[in-house]
Amino acid sequence: MKVDVKAANQFFNQKRLRLTAIIVVFGLAYIGASLGLGFQSRSLLGVQDGIAWLAQNFIPNEASKGYWTEISQQLLRTFLVAVASTTCTAAVSLFLAILGAKTLAVSRSISWLIRGFASLMRNIPIVAWAMILLFSFKQNDLTGFLALFFMTLGFLTRAFMETIEDFGTEKIQALQATGATYLQIIFQGLIPEIAIALMSWILYMIENNVRDATLVGLLTGTGIGFIFNLYFKSLRYGAAGLVVLAVILLVVSVELISNLIGRLLS
Amino acid sequence: MLTVKHLAKSYNGTKKSLTDVSFSVSPGEVTVIIGPSGAGKTTILRSINQLIRDDDGEILFDDVDMRQLNRRQLRDARSHIGMIFQNYNLIEPLTALENVLHGCLGTKSNLAGMFSLYRNSEKTEALQLLQKVGLGDFAYQQCRNLSGGQKQRVGIARALMQHPKIILCDEPIASLDPKSTTVVMDLLRDLATNDGISVLINLHQVDIARTYADHVIGINNGQVVFDDRTAALTDTAVTDIYRKTTSSERSLVYEG
Repeated sequence: MKVDVKAANQFFNQKRLRLTAIIVVFGLAYIGASLGLGFQSRSLLGVQDGIAWLAQNFIPNEASKGYWTEISQQLLRTFLVAVASTTCTAAVSLFLAILGAKTLAVSRSISWLIRGFASLMRNIPIVAWAMILLFSFKQNDLTGFLALFFMTLGFLTRAFMETIEDFGTEKIQALQATGATYLQIIFQGLIPEIAIALMSWILYMIENNVRDATLVGLLTGTGIGFIFNLYFKSLRYGAAGLVVLAVILLVVSVELISNLIGRLLS
Repeated sequence: MLTVKHLAKSYNGTKKSLTDVSFSVSPGEVTVIIGPSGAGKTTILRSINQLIRDDDGEILFDDVDMRQLNRRQLRDARSHIGMIFQNYNLIEPLTALENVLHGCLGTKSNLAGMFSLYRNSEKTEALQLLQKVGLGDFAYQQCRNLSGGQKQRVGIARALMQHPKIILCDEPIASLDPKSTTVVMDLLRDLATNDGISVLINLHQVDIARTYADHVIGINNGQVVFDDRTAALTDTAVTDIYRKTTSSERSLVYEG
């Protein structure tokens, strides 16, 4: 058997050439952007001084221990806001996703309407939501809850809709063939089949919302975000460092717990 | 009991899938539809219980045209027609028992069906049906843990739960090994012979059609090219059913 090694070599050379071209393009993009911004790449060399300053000031010290009670209280509040908004949104999202999924075909125009609504909600950044809602709902937990609610609504509706569409039409047809009604098909077929996928989306969203709730709190003046801002602005860097540490602990433990639940479910 | 007359269907308005299909199915018989891939076998089967909407023709089930029924009537008619599939189409995270009970959803009120409020008589029957298909010990197993042959038998039990007059089988053995194939086909044969249920099966395997069928229908390119007792299915007839007719048909076969 005769094979053409030359053609194979040519193939690999072309591939290498393409990779090089891509790297060059990215390099040029960085240079172009730096020039446009007047950003001096040299200042990256001084970064270690900044980090050293951070390390010296933000390490929690003896004095910041006294803040622990307040921090843990606010941390709990923030966590609860995240959990409440996610679970509440999940119920609404599931309803919207069932109405909007193409495979369940209630109506094409409703499907497009829900799709559009979901992507609008999702593409407004959480910070913008918080600031808009701040005008009408003032500084309280409800504002944070609503900001998380709207953003999560967009995200979960879209995620649920895709999960439902992955379920396909074959199994729906099998239940239609038994003479089952629309709602019976949803409850007996669709929901059992996608329950685990829905749970993992909800757990992921709780994780995500714990992080976002911190940021939202900073803007709406509630929860852990608020006290971080307070300590920071009153130059109590040690206490602010403790807040950061507490948030990291919370986020990591939520993630670990959600992984554990996910494994138990599947 | 089931008569199909002049059934026609095209997809996207242009490509004709079925041109003029007529045949009838007798009670208590196994009728097998054979023919090349893409000939329209699945379209015929799914038109019968209107999972696919056809364009023209008549589908008389117990002298009622399935095509003229409103939503509620169609739901009622479907509840007398069992169906099993190549991919089983069970709800995998649920148990075998729950899947069998889905067969009686068509006779239940909306709420009772949604929340699994089954009567004791229904549960008893479902357990008996699982025993009948040889899965008495698997009632509380999740269907995702069952083998292909076992899943198909759960599918048959689900169909039987409907007290069907006819069972439609869309390539029921295409994903099964030879041993499960025999079990499933024996079961379907038995339902026709002993319970008087009509069985209409789409198949690829001519030898299986010869072993189990009373009546064979050959479909090629959306048309009936053979319609007779199984004994008349000679090798020449088989070659005729599977011959390539048009260039589009040929390309389909080559592409696999």
